[in-house]
Amino acid sequence: MTTQRTHIIGRGERRVDAFGKVTGKAKFAADYSLPHQLYGATLYAEHPHATITHIDTREAERLDGVFAVLTAKDIPGENAFGIVIKNQPVLACDIVRYYGDGVALVAAATREAAEAALALIRVEYAPLPVLTDPEEALLEGSVKIHGDSNIFVHHKVRKGDIENGFAEAEIVIEKKFKTQFIEHSALEPEAALAEPAEQGGIRITGSVQNLFSSRRSVAAALNLDLNKVQIVQATLGGSFGGKDEVMTALCCRAALLSLRTGRPVKMVNTREASMRESYKRHPYVLSYKWGAKNDGSITAMEITCIADGGAYASMSPFVTWRSVVQATGPYRCGNVKTDVYAVYTNNTYTGAMRGFGSPQVNFAIESMMDMLAEAVGKDPLELRLQNCFETGAETATGQTLDHHVSLSEVLTTAADAAQFSAHWKSFRGQTSGAKRRGIGLACSYRGVSLGAEGTDAAGTIVSVQTDGSVIVSSGITDMGQGAQTQMSQIAAEVLGIGMGRIQFLNTNTSRVPDSGPTVASRGTIMGGSAAKRGAEIVRSTMLKVGSHMTGEATGALDFRDEHLVRMSDGTHLATFAEVAAECFRRGLPMYGFGWFQSPKTSWDEERGQGEAYFTYVYGANIAEVEVDIETGKVDVLRFVAVHDVGRAINRSAVLGQFYGGVAMGLGYGLLESFDFEEGIPKQLNFDEYLIPTSLDVPPIRPVVIEHPDPAGPFGAKSIGEPANELAAPAIINAIANATGRRITELPATLERVLLGHALSRTGERGSQHKTSDESCKIRPAGL
Amino acid sequence: MKPFEYIAPRSLEETTALLARAGTDATILAGGTDLLVEMRRPNKMRKRVVVDISRVSELGGMITSDRSVVIRPLMTHARLQHSELLRIAAPLLASASAAIGSPQIRNRGTIGGNIMNAATCADTVPPLIALGATVTLRSAAGTREMPLSSLFLRPYQTIAAPDELLTEIRFPGLTADARSAFIKLGRRNALSISRLSVAAILRIGRDSRIAEARIVPGAAFPTWQRVTAAEALLLGERPSARLFAAAGACVSKEMILQTGRRWSTEYKEPVIAVLVRRALEQCAAPALPEDGK
Amino acid sequence: MTKIPITTTVNGTVHTLEIAPHQTLLELLREGLGLTGTKCGCEIGECGACTVLLDGEPVNSCLVLAPQIDGRNVSTVEGLMRANATDPLQDAFMDHDAVHCGFCTPGMLMSARALLAEDAHPDEASIRTAISGNLCRCTGYVQIIEAIKHVKP
Ligand SMILES: Cc1cc2nc3c(=O)[nH]c(=O)nc-3n(C[C@H](O)[C@H](O)[C@H](O)COP(=O)(O)OP(=O)(O)OC[C@H]3O[C@@H](n4cnc5c(N)ncnc54)[C@H](O)[C@@H]3O)c2cc1C
Ligand code: FES
Ligand code: FES
Repeated sequence: MTTQRTHIIGRGERRVDAFGKVTGKAKFAADYSLPHQLYGATLYAEHPHATITHIDTREAERLDGVFAVLTAKDIPGENAFGIVIKNQPVLACDIVRYYGDGVALVAAATREAAEAALALIRVEYAPLPVLTDPEEALLEGSVKIHGDSNIFVHHKVRKGDIENGFAEAEIVIEKKFKTQFIEHSALEPEAALAEPAEQGGIRITGSVQNLFSSRRSVAAALNLDLNKVQIVQATLGGSFGGKDEVMTALCCRAALLSLRTGRPVKMVNTREASMRESYKRHPYVLSYKWGAKNDGSITAMEITCIADGGAYASMSPFVTWRSVVQATGPYRCGNVKTDVYAVYTNNTYTGAMRGFGSPQVNFAIESMMDMLAEAVGKDPLELRLQNCFETGAETATGQTLDHHVSLSEVLTTAADAAQFSAHWKSFRGQTSGAKRRGIGLACSYRGVSLGAEGTDAAGTIVSVQTDGSVIVSSGITDMGQGAQTQMSQIAAEVLGIGMGRIQFLNTNTSRVPDSGPTVASRGTIMGGSAAKRGAEIVRSTMLKVGSHMTGEATGALDFRDEHLVRMSDGTHLATFAEVAAECFRRGLPMYGFGWFQSPKTSWDEERGQGEAYFTYVYGANIAEVEVDIETGKVDVLRFVAVHDVGRAINRSAVLGQFYGGVAMGLGYGLLESFDFEEGIPKQLNFDEYLIPTSLDVPPIRPVVIEHPDPAGPFGAKSIGEPANELAAPAIINAIANATGRRITELPATLERVLLGHALSRTGERGSQHKTSDESCKIRPAGL
Repeated sequence: MKPFEYIAPRSLEETTALLARAGTDATILAGGTDLLVEMRRPNKMRKRVVVDISRVSELGGMITSDRSVVIRPLMTHARLQHSELLRIAAPLLASASAAIGSPQIRNRGTIGGNIMNAATCADTVPPLIALGATVTLRSAAGTREMPLSSLFLRPYQTIAAPDELLTEIRFPGLTADARSAFIKLGRRNALSISRLSVAAILRIGRDSRIAEARIVPGAAFPTWQRVTAAEALLLGERPSARLFAAAGACVSKEMILQTGRRWSTEYKEPVIAVLVRRALEQCAAPALPEDGK
Repeated sequence: MTKIPITTTVNGTVHTLEIAPHQTLLELLREGLGLTGTKCGCEIGECGACTVLLDGEPVNSCLVLAPQIDGRNVSTVEGLMRANATDPLQDAFMDHDAVHCGFCTPGMLMSARALLAEDAHPDEASIRTAISGNLCRCTGYVQIIEAIKHVKP
């Protein structure tokens, strides 16, 4: 597909919501208040795993200013939610399964009264054995969290014959990797304001990412029809996948309290409550075993991943499915056997987070690739170019990539921009000085949108007003990534108007159709495609009217620069507003409802074969680091990020995703780790959970590659998640280049870089505890 | 936060009188960057009265008198960081102040609060002890002065009585031939508490031999102190990489003697030695960057 | 506990208030004065979302007790616009796409405002330092730094 000539697509237009956000006018969920509102608060579990034997709320109820104290028995409807497996309670009933389970709720006149009431609720527990190790969860004799097995997901991919693959191999590399829990750390903590609706039911304004799944759960919990539950999205202060189930729980709780008291109820999580309760990115244990020829071609890949799903299923089945599809990386290999498991533990449950199952496998894949390069004496770039997918390649799931596969272009562009090979060679042999330089490369392919696991459709409404101004709304939400701007820009392009004419409405479940979750970087491709269709419907009406107004054939007319123009010579024939007014006079609808359903995908669960995603994106990152080998401190000095995004709808928003993705990936690689001690979180605020500051993120050089994809609006694909899935392996590879030592557990803290393993404080003071990183095994085949 | 009574006295006398009356019921508030974090924790705030000293003008400012530098407790880290006076008289203290938290924290946080909070990772304390600082405590009953190193009992605890106010920090300014360094190692480059730190001062005589050495590690020992065993190694010697490495190793050994082996020792043992060596190298060759490259 | 009277200037307007002493400046602004532009992200001085200027200096309003602003000047994001026109700093943020989710933005703007008052043409290093107490999870800081570099005087 060639790049279409466009006017506004591709430009770095100001965001439609920027004005409100630089003036303080933008209203985030916690900024809403209503007269006579009460404050809601949640009492959390005191144990990560225990039976609740008794709850006594009488004293709390008697406290001045307290209007309601509720427990699981007060839930009129279904006390269980979950997008795949419904096993998460709004409030724990008999058993608590993690330290963030809600046990009781309070609504009170002030926050202080609510807090004080929580302290008066007496809950008695009978503690159960606590399961925290996902590998232990696999064992027969382990404690069971739900039902009689802790394994709740097992995805497979089977291709070729793995035995033959290893028999053909001249080298075998085997390695175990581990990744950590990651907290999304959106700067805005969760908040919701619920109020009884005029006609019965409930209206909730909140920091909700996936309004429709939250609505389903609220309706089920309260025994209401979907049309009696209205959820309005407040301006969202970041989400990164993190405001789904935790917001569902908060919406249900605020709604319960509000309906019980008949008053508006506001619930705002403190950072501590947010970190305690909210789900995290899955930690994985990844066992990789590859066979290869001495020339570097890969003959076999045997991969096992165990994802710690924590206490509830949440999005684990989807997240791990992406892992199984992408576990081999973008490399040709005829013989693949991949198994990905998700298991229950008493850790905080894990779910969607930017990357969605790819950051974990990419860390392993790209580390393996560098180890293989080392073993066969090639440079990492050369080895990747030798093995990577080209147009027409067949993936591990048997899908033929018939779109333009630009990976080798992406790789060489990145390598040229960073002078990768020259640096890599010169940094390798460093033997002196405490500060060692290193450069590292990582690349990936990534399926766009939900893929074969989910129903994938979205709607966007474009409504032209009688004065030519336009209102756009969509079931796809904006969490800060700029979805509203991109959809507006697409509508503006189709209608030939400037962005100033467009007003975007925050999503409201009662006014736009259920468009599924805004996850998997599907905002642009799904919401944007729907916006394009919606705008095209209005445009065609307006062109017909324009034709009547001017006597020109519709085919000879176009909208451009806010005018109806004659295409042949560009003459302005009428203003856009005049045509809009004329449409209204003639009683014609200027309302376009665009609906887009993703192209077909397929999946055979047993063999793990199929057209997993309808298209893919390609990216490469290069990190240059300085490692202080005497202290273990790593500074990232420079960074190159290259992505083929199909087409950049809004250039600066696309670059913004590159930068933000790299920064988050840097946190993943070097700083962040949400840790537990016997199921109890060790970090609950930003003093201990460290995300990168402005002094930690290096200058980033972005290169946008555009090979428009017929599947996306104006050729656009996606960028939100691809931007976040490569920085950590690039940094880890750079550290290996600098030091000659490979880190196999994230993050590369001071201790891991200096000592090769982490240190952690255990129960008793003075005792020493190491988590030893597995040693690497590289050996000739057959030994 | 739990409710409390708030009083903001305007003079030193008023403050000490108030504190005398309130006894153990009162807590002193300066910049609040430690105290407000503490008070937010549900069960931590037990005091009924908060005495805000930030309006007591006698407690602000900094002066030099007969070669001594006198810093009043309300001096913020931002002021210390940019002080021309300190740049000459105690550059290591200015560096330590500059390394604290963030601009917002440095604008509020005071040196008095940093000292009195007595966290082992308090960044201004190692430089002050290296400088030989003394502190003055004052109450309605009178004043007492003591070396800063004897103010601390254990982490988060000083010997000051509840009604005692820190009113002055005093140290002799560095002479022109003295060189100093402060090195902080944190996990990230801002908003980072010290994993380890080192303050060092060296004076090299005309004969190119070390005439004076002071080494104070931070976040390594239960309370702060000069490591005299390591300092003794240096005296009378010519600066060299070997010598500085030996001093580093000595500090590391002393640390383990005092703290025993803990979960973090495996890391701190080699790294404190490196930081000490680097701080000494910086002192010996202030014009040269680290590593002598 | 007894309420205490204070007089304070917020964004140029003088307020005489009776406040509970155990309130933070952040709570006073958001709940007492309805100035919800200033954000709450951690309440322990780590995120910078609550940054306001106190007598021109950036501070974490979550770590200032409300009574401490008696007689002092507070500026918040709501005070940046003058006569219905955006400030050049706000324009730069919009033009350089320095605003993603926007939750860190009010605090970032106040830190940047204080920096620019001292140095109209700051270099990259001083910009990075000036915003090092303002966490941003969305932008990787790149476009924020660009915006501050390019504020039209
Ligand atoms: C985000 C963040 C980052 C930080 N980073 C660092 C860092 O990098 N390095 C570091 O060292 N510290 C750091 N701190 C801690 C803190 O900022 C400093 O310790 C600061 O100097 C404390 O001063 P203050 O005026 O705010 O103290 P306050 O909080 O007002 O008081 C602290 C304690 O000292 C007592 N006190 C204060 N003044 C006196 C006095 N004159 N007489 C008697 N008692 C007194 C108070 O009663 C209280 O117990 C950080 C804090 C935060 C919130
Ligand atoms: S809310 Fe004040 S710094 Fe985070
Ligand atoms: S724009 Fe979202 S936190 Fe900065």
